[in-house]
Order: sequence, then structure tokens, then C-alpha cells
Amino acid sequence: MKEVLTMWRHTQMVVLVALSAAIYAAVLIPFKGFPIIPGYIELRPANAFPIVFGLLFGPAGAWGAAIGNLIGDFFGTLSLGSIGGFVGNFFLALLPYKMWSVFFRRDENMEENVDSGKKFGVFILLVLLASAACALIISWWADLIGLFPFALFFALILFNNAIMGGVLGPILLLALYPRVKRWGLLWTEIVEPEDTSSSRLQRTGAILVWVGAIGGTIVGLILGLGQQTPGNLGVGLGLIPFLLLILVGSFMLGVREQVESVEEAMAAEAEESEA
Amino acid sequence: MDPSLYLDRDTWVHRLDPRTKIFLLVGMFALPFVFLNPLYELAVLALVLFFGYLAQSLANLRRIWFILLTILIVTTVLWSIVGSGRTPLFLFVEREALLYGFSNALRIVITVIAGMFFLSTTRNEEVGIALVRLGIPYRFAFAVSTALRLVPTVVATGLTIGQAQRSRGLDLESGNIIQRIRKHLPLLVPVFVTTVRSTNIFSMALESKGFGARPERTYYLHTAMSGRDALVIVAFVALLAGCIALRVAGYGALEGFSR
Repeated sequence: MKEVLTMWRHTQMVVLVALSAAIYAAVLIPFKGFPIIPGYIELRPANAFPIVFGLLFGPAGAWGAAIGNLIGDFFGTLSLGSIGGFVGNFFLALLPYKMWSVFFRRDENMEENVDSGKKFGVFILLVLLASAACALIISWWADLIGLFPFALFFALILFNNAIMGGVLGPILLLALYPRVKRWGLLWTEIVEPEDTSSSRLQRTGAILVWVGAIGGTIVGLILGLGQQTPGNLGVGLGLIPFLLLILVGSFMLGVREQVESVEEAMAAEAEESEA
Repeated sequence: MDPSLYLDRDTWVHRLDPRTKIFLLVGMFALPFVFLNPLYELAVLALVLFFGYLAQSLANLRRIWFILLTILIVTTVLWSIVGSGRTPLFLFVEREALLYGFSNALRIVITVIAGMFFLSTTRNEEVGIALVRLGIPYRFAFAVSTALRLVPTVVATGLTIGQAQRSRGLDLESGNIIQRIRKHLPLLVPVFVTTVRSTNIFSMALESKGFGARPERTYYLHTAMSGRDALVIVAFVALLAGCIALRVAGYGALEGFSR
């Protein structure tokens, strides 16, 4: 998670945080008038953006998604639940870029695009994972503060995120990746290897995150369906271990290998062009 | 639709230090949750609306009246179904559950309106400087205030692109809600591209003006807490304490409701 803090040294990343947040909020706000549960959740095609932002801009996309969601909340869904929304959307963008390189060997093409069958499959898996983690965080918080029952809220957020991310995400990524790469704005091209944490424990971290997300989903639904109304501590306490697994796993998901492989590829390209 | 919410008025609320307004906003997350009885929540709502009247910001409520109305109706209905009480009203709905639902709906409406008034009376630059004065790192505060400032720009870009696409035959008006949403989706890519394309120029412009050159920086905009800010903060704290005391004394509860 080191890059989540060190990225603030780079002016381009700061600007990308602001632009990502502005785009996300600008696309969220018009759809506040299409509520699924008024005051809590609405139809959100913009949910495809955090996942795409995360893959393209890395930690800048994660911060941008979190801030953009908070800005959007001021237009009809502002409450204590917005704290859960901030953290949930942060992880919605964080997990895809953190987990991406887990599925590829170092000598494979790790570009964050969906221009192959394998990459498309990985993208869909990460959409489901990130959507589940985001839904878990937001629904847990909403249930804990007595805002809304866990089970229904979780299902709605999960489907809203997964469907929009899975359907719109590949289209956006295919259209945007070449342009962002041409402009030199991919996070792996801006952030230095020393800004990131080591990839030593990456596989362990990945397992923890998956266990946390899937386990939290199953246990959360069992506990949530067993209680009629929110605010009881069953869901609140029962999901803490799974949330901790996601958090600890995220810390262990180093991305230095990914950044170094891009650096090597860029160096090789420069040598070729000189030759 | 112009998402810029700031209303340029000369009121004492506008002249409050932005930290005071952030404090009031955060306080408004707590105040509605002190009571369960909808009559007390209505009193809190009246107070918030009066504050908005003093700030000459009630006009902005017109933008979200539909959202507020649907929140009121749907939240009340949902809790009437999910909650239970002692006094049957009709079918499976009990009086206490209905009142709790209405109270919960008012809580959400109060926090949304409070957020609206905050943005109506606080400029983006003031939000940024307030965050810095509260100890948030400058770069993060800069990103937040820049994002707030850019939202209207991005929306305007989207509208321009929509008009350009309409002139090329794209029909965005006809069809049901789902069809109209689907027709708007092709606008997402051009909006993204148009906005993100300026990143490098934006970054160069910032660095040419010394962004990040020194760890400590000075600010053009100066804010300072005045006696008025202290008075408002003390008054709000007294109000909150008074409400909590009332609640502890047994007022503002909702007897007979169970979750």
C-alpha cells in the first residue's frame, strides 16, 4: 500500500486524482434521479469508472473514486453511510490494479488492457472481487450504524457494481487504454519502483483478499438474512475478520514487480529506437 | 443542469470561516440521530431550513426536491414494512413502525439538505483552505477542491458532446428511462478523453507556478476564525448538548417500536 501514499509526490498523479474524482462525480450526479433505494443507492453506470480508473491510474484512480463518490453523495445520498461509500469505492478501484499482476508471470505482457481472452477473463474476475469487497464494506457499515439491512443492500450494490463494471468496463478500457498509454499517463509509467512495496508476499495477499471477499459474502448473507433489521451486532461483529483479511491482504499485495516490468519494457523500447 | 451549487450571496453564513461550516456539517450528522420521534426531527428540519433561509440558499433545494420527496416516501414505507410496533394501523403496518420510518426519512433528508447548504455557502477554494487548516495534507486538499471545481466543467463537456452527437443524428430524448440511459453511454468515452487529455498540461502549469516546490507554502486566500465563528460553534454545541439532555430525560423517544 506504500504507493497509495507516495503517489502524492507526483504532480501528474495529484492531477489524475482530481480529474478521476471530477469525472466520476459528474457521471454519478445525473443518475441520482434514478434511485433504486432513494437516499441510499441509485442506478450507476458510472460504477464502471472506478475499476477502469484503478487499472489505468492505480492509486490515483483509487483516491479519485473515493473522493468522486463523496462529491456525488452531496447531491442526494449524503449521510453517515457516505463514510462507508468513501472506503468502499476506494477499494473498488484499488483491488483491480493490486491484483492484476497476480495472474501473470513476469515475462508475460502485463498491460492493463482486455485485448486478449486471458486478460478479459482476469478483468471479469477482478470486477467480481472488487464489487464484492466494495459491497461488503459499504453494507457492513450501513448495517452497523442502523441505516439499512445488510443482505438487501449488499445484493444491490454487488449487482450494480458487477453488471456495470463487467459490461461497460471492457468497452471503456479498450477505448481508453491506448490513448492513456500514448499520453504517458499509465500509473506504472509515472510511479517509480521505490515508491511501491515489494511483491514478495503478493500471492499470500491475494489469497487473503479472496478469502475475505468470498467468506465475507457468504457469512454476511447468512447473518444478514437471519436478522430483519439493521443495527444488531451480528453482522457488525461477524464480518470484522473478513474485512481485516481484505485490508491485510491489500497491504501484502506489492506492485513493485509490475512497475519494474514496465520500466524494463520502456528501457528496451528506448534502446530499440536508438538502435 | 448546472451542478455548481455555490450561491454568491453576502450573508453572515457565507462570511463564516469554512472550518466552522465543516464543523456544523459534521454536527448535522449527529443532531438528527439524537431523537427517534418524528416531531423532534421536524423541529431539527425546521432549524436547518431556517439556517438555509438566513444563508439565502433555499433556492438550491429546488434541484433536489424530487430526490428528497422519494426519500421521504420510500424510506417511510420500507421501515413500515420491516419494523414492528404495538398499535396496528392497517394490514401489517403498525403506527410505531410508520412513525419510525418517517423519522428515519427525516434524518436522511436533514443530512442531505445540510450538505446542500454547505456547498451553497462555501466556495471551492474555501473548502481546500479549510481542509489544510484542519491538518489535511495540502496536495490532498488541492485534489478535493480541484475535483469540486471541475465537476461543472466535466458536466458542461458532456452536454457539449451530447449536442455535437445530436447534430450527427444521435437521438437522446426518445424512449423509456432505460433506453435513454443506454443512449447516453457512448458519451462516456469522449467525456473521459477530453478531460484526461489535459493532465500533462495541467501538471506543467502547476509546476511552473511552483506546485510542490517547497514543503511549506503561503496562501492567497486568508481565513480566520472570528468572534462570530466562536459564537456559532458554542451555540451549536449548546444545542447538541441540550438535545442530548432532552433525550436522556426521556423526550424525543419513540415508545413501542422494535427492530
